[in-house]
Amino acid sequence: MNVSEQDVLHMARLAELAVDPDDLETLTVQLDRIVGFVGQLAGAGDLAARVLHPDGPERTPLRPDVVNPAPLARPPSAFAPEFIDGFFVVPKLGVIEDA
Amino acid sequence: MSVREAAREVGLRLAAASRLNAALAWSEAALLAEADRVDGMPARGALHGMPIAVKDNLVTTGLPTTCGSRMLAGYVSPFVATAVDRLRAAGALLACKTNLDEFAMGSSTEHSAFGRVLHPLDPERVPGGSSGGSAALVAAGVVPAALGSETGGSVRQPASFCGVVGVKPTYGRVSRYGLVAFGSSLDCISVFGRTVADAALVLAEIAGADPRDATTVDRAPFRPQPASATLEGITIGVPKEYFPPDLHPGVQAACDASLGRMKELGARLVDVSLPHAPFAVPAYYIIAPAEAAANLARFDGARYGARARGDGDVRAMYRATRGNGFGPEVRRRILIGTYVLSAGYQDAYYARAQAVRARIAADFTDVFATGVDFLFTPTTPTPAFKAGEKIADPVAMYLADIFVCSANLAGIPAVSIPIGRFEGLPLGGQLMAPHFEEAAMLAAAATLERHLDGTKEVAP
Repeated sequence: MNVSEQDVLHMARLAELAVDPDDLETLTVQLDRIVGFVGQLAGAGDLAARVLHPDGPERTPLRPDVVNPAPLARPPSAFAPEFIDGFFVVPKLGVIEDA
Repeated sequence: MSVREAAREVGLRLAAASRLNAALAWSEAALLAEADRVDGMPARGALHGMPIAVKDNLVTTGLPTTCGSRMLAGYVSPFVATAVDRLRAAGALLACKTNLDEFAMGSSTEHSAFGRVLHPLDPERVPGGSSGGSAALVAAGVVPAALGSETGGSVRQPASFCGVVGVKPTYGRVSRYGLVAFGSSLDCISVFGRTVADAALVLAEIAGADPRDATTVDRAPFRPQPASATLEGITIGVPKEYFPPDLHPGVQAACDASLGRMKELGARLVDVSLPHAPFAVPAYYIIAPAEAAANLARFDGARYGARARGDGDVRAMYRATRGNGFGPEVRRRILIGTYVLSAGYQDAYYARAQAVRARIAADFTDVFATGVDFLFTPTTPTPAFKAGEKIADPVAMYLADIFVCSANLAGIPAVSIPIGRFEGLPLGGQLMAPHFEEAAMLAAAATLERHLDGTKEVAP
């Protein structure tokens, strides 16, 4: 086995993802199969680095570091229940209720 | 026929095709409003009045954008995707938003929170995915063209299954602004058409640099070229890795017939090798989930997404929101992406996958450097499979993309066209070209399309 139930629960914690205990066994089997499948890259042989994006005229160009406003169909104040002095008013952590 | 009358016709066709479950959001009122908008514009091109369906991971201000997920049910974007904006500016009608695998993760359009899409020719089968709704609507004759998106073949694969044309442009040819991100280094807005010419017209309109997407490339505009009478002077490479001994006999027969027709039209056929092609699917299923795990972090109930109760603690709220809002395939990919990026595994999986990706791209560069103009392969290893056939085995589902995801990893353009049918089910053949050679590639595809009956039954 590449992946254990403990691994799945650890990844779920890192990804902030609830996992239903009833799904854990099936999910572990599926993830183990996927990790085993992608693990065949170990047999891809010598993978010496090859430069695909060289410097010069063909290199990825940089753009000016300028922030341009996006054209919005409604103003930012319409995105949240409260918007005061250019700031969104959000609930205090720990007292979040259903939307 | 006036644009308004055409819009009514589209509404009737959408209603008649509702059994396919391919359209997520549309209304006759919205269609007529689109018609009135277009009627007020000066007619200036081939897209004036053309109804176009749009995959529901491209944001629109007039219709909701759900990505086929409960997470975004009812979400209406405050801005519009550049590709959609350009089509509407050219006079196209936004006909509807189309069903898809949740967040574009899937190969069958069975992974939508709003139900699976039915294959237009056989309701027991899948239309492919993840852009299955767009493919089904074009195949059913509801619209002449549609937008989809590719991360690992999600337009060409359903185009093959449904018997329509699917074009994936070079990465950087079309702006991704307003495309909900899945795998940012791979994502590519792509086009379905009934014909190569229809798809090329739409691609020409949406292509071009966009200051809102720094990955777009400022090149000469893409201009569609007409089909030629022959394929004289063109060299077609036939990569042996795409024709394994166990290839479906119908797919093999259709490809053999296509290659024979290309030879008759004057093309030179050469056997070539892409030695790292067998590693494309495993590399893809490391890189794409890794990028997805990062991109989908924003759907947490605070920044985006329908918030769920989380027992008061904010992290519990995140977990409940994401656990409830995402479907099983999205959850699997987020977990895999987190796994391959985690301490102790990153070098073994993610770094190695990136090295393999570089070799896959180099294989294409090397082959094209020998004078090969285009590569020809099957688009899919089989015709459309039955719904439920692969749903419990993610790896079997992933292998449906075995011939299409290399082009995404390398960033090159590719097109799938219908090349025949097996027991009534469409089969697709794929041309792949060097970066930014869409015009020549589509001209060759149009020539082949003209001399090939894509609806003809093949005999293995």
